[in-house]
Amino acid sequence: MQRRTVLKLALTAPLLASRRAWSQSKAITLWYPAGDITAGAAHFSDKSFFAPYEAKTGVKVEAVGLDYDTMQQKIFAAAAAKNVGDILFVDGSWVPGFLKEDMLDAVPDARSKAWLDAVSPEIRTLSDYGKGRMWGYPQYGIDIYGLTWNKDHFKEAGLDPEKPPRTWDEFRDYAKKLTKRDAQGNITRVGYAIRHVGHPHGIVHKHFWALYGAGASLVDDPLALRGGKANFNNDGGRAAVKLVLDMLDVDKSTSLNFPDPRAALLKGLASMQISETVSIHERAPKEAPELKWGLSATPVRKAGDKPITLLGSWMYAVPKMAKNREAAWQLLEWINTPEQDFEMCKKYAATPRYKVNWERDPFKSNAYDQALKQIYPYGKPLPVNLGLNGVMDAVGGAIQKTWHHEAKLEEALAEAERAANKAIADAAK
Amino acid sequence: MPAIRRLILRLHARHVWHAYLFVAPIIILFGAFRVAPSVQTLLYSVYRVELLRGRFTFIGLENFRELLVDRAFQQAAWNTLVYVLVIVPVSAALGLLLAVLFDTRFPLRELFKALYFAPMVTSTVAAAVVWWWLYNPQFGLFNVLLRLVGLPIQPWLMSSRTALLSILLFSVWKGIGYNMVVYLAGLQAIPESFVEAARIDGAGGFQRFWRITLPLLAPTTAFLLIYNSIQAFQVFDQVFVLTSGGPAGSTNVIVLDLYRQAFERYNFGYAAAEAMFLFLLTLGVTVLQYVYSKRFEVSY
Repeated sequence: MQRRTVLKLALTAPLLASRRAWSQSKAITLWYPAGDITAGAAHFSDKSFFAPYEAKTGVKVEAVGLDYDTMQQKIFAAAAAKNVGDILFVDGSWVPGFLKEDMLDAVPDARSKAWLDAVSPEIRTLSDYGKGRMWGYPQYGIDIYGLTWNKDHFKEAGLDPEKPPRTWDEFRDYAKKLTKRDAQGNITRVGYAIRHVGHPHGIVHKHFWALYGAGASLVDDPLALRGGKANFNNDGGRAAVKLVLDMLDVDKSTSLNFPDPRAALLKGLASMQISETVSIHERAPKEAPELKWGLSATPVRKAGDKPITLLGSWMYAVPKMAKNREAAWQLLEWINTPEQDFEMCKKYAATPRYKVNWERDPFKSNAYDQALKQIYPYGKPLPVNLGLNGVMDAVGGAIQKTWHHEAKLEEALAEAERAANKAIADAAK
Repeated sequence: MPAIRRLILRLHARHVWHAYLFVAPIIILFGAFRVAPSVQTLLYSVYRVELLRGRFTFIGLENFRELLVDRAFQQAAWNTLVYVLVIVPVSAALGLLLAVLFDTRFPLRELFKALYFAPMVTSTVAAAVVWWWLYNPQFGLFNVLLRLVGLPIQPWLMSSRTALLSILLFSVWKGIGYNMVVYLAGLQAIPESFVEAARIDGAGGFQRFWRITLPLLAPTTAFLLIYNSIQAFQVFDQVFVLTSGGPAGSTNVIVLDLYRQAFERYNFGYAAAEAMFLFLLTLGVTVLQYVYSKRFEVSY
């Protein structure tokens, strides 16, 4: 009997010891996009980012960088194989697709309510997926699309470098004045650089301000997960697409021969562009240290209108099939406390999320942060509709076809409306 | 002795079991990574597939019916067809031209041969990234060269009118080396006596090529046409890197479209239907080419 007990102990002791050792060295994984895709993601490669949490809990956090272009696909494939990261740091526009597949764990109701009450209005807008439901936490340093311009170009063209165009008419007029040509008449610098190639979603992101500013929208109910209708084949949608079409064909103040608008502004090939302001803020010191640039809200269709621009963010989310869900949520609770929000934003020069942190320095007195704060109220996030991917594909395709003269404006929008409504209906099944 | 036992013993005596044992690893791997996914794709094509929920709804031929009215797919299918119709003959013709040039002796022949073959062994993605810069309208080498000779600069990948052509140019550059090497092997296999006899009969250089060399290269040509067609129908990497299917869908191809349907819109059933369509298209063209090429079979 005694021998049997000793034998049992001898067999179970190593197992217990290894289990204890495993729990002490428990690791959770966080998947994020590698490279310069978003400023916030780059912070995960900083070894000190998770160090306080690791020291406090003994849980090791392994940040895994993935290629942005294929990240969404890899997440999905990994989720299907039940071998996905415990925390996903994802583009907010991917969330509806993940929700369509019932992939994400919801933030507990009590926690959502506390968060929504404590954060600033733009973060609240980004976090709330309808009736206070949250599927993750937006990261600090959110993206807001704004107009950025080269102040030296403005001076050179006889424009006040501190006064950006406020209306579409002014915008067209400025762009014409800022455009430069060589002796043969070829455009060497565009007044306004447009995104017209690449993934259709990127084109929608960068023309969102005109579509929404003119009264159109991607879908009629932005907070409905299922159902609804496309809402861009109307006067507003036509006016928004025509705005750039006229700049291409009539004013000749923009061109299809120019690269990504951000790169064009940084290289001095464009005088104005509209995209994520955070991108220019991060890239300019490295790529164009001499560039003097301004930042403002996007132009409006007519004087008196309110600007509307795209408010986007990267989000921390936990997939339902994560192996360490509990630990993942614990880490997210830690990252998203007011204290950590303050410390991280201060360390990485990003804008905070909590109302209380906006009242503190350095954010209170930082000119760039305050300029962003002026634009935030005009921000609108993408709809949460489960068919959003299809809607974005349709709208981006229609814009491209029109600007590239592959189709007439009305035909392109009508075709896109059909495709978008089909995508909405399919996703709702 | 029962017949089955006799059969087993006979197979054992002939070492058939051993043979199966030796080929088993590759059969198992082929089955697991080729046959099983293909069968799965065929099954998915008649279902609405919600992979993460594990929900599969049988919908018959609905996915295929939708394919027929989907304009994005129609454009992708058309672009793929144009790509195949251009790339297959052009690559073969230029490969043949180079092979004929390299079949004669001249200084640094091996070096030039290696240079032409190098793109073939270069990663498509890496090469496409380099070409993306070459095509840059402002700084790219191609427009710099056009400016130097006084020709108008081109938008290349930035325009829906020139983007597919730009991808075709890249693909020709990438594939020409392989065609050249295969043709060179074919040329060197032609007995010298055939050409010699024609020369004695007074045939000129062009006549010898047209009447002797080209017909004797028919099996090589048939192989290249079939191989190039299969490769061309599956074009993806260069399109993904250079244009992502744009501008305005002008370079969207079937594989890219099905990739998007599957991994961006999670329509796995629909994507599987696109894959089956592509399979049938490739199979049809291959069978057609194979049957037709039988007419040109030669032996020497």
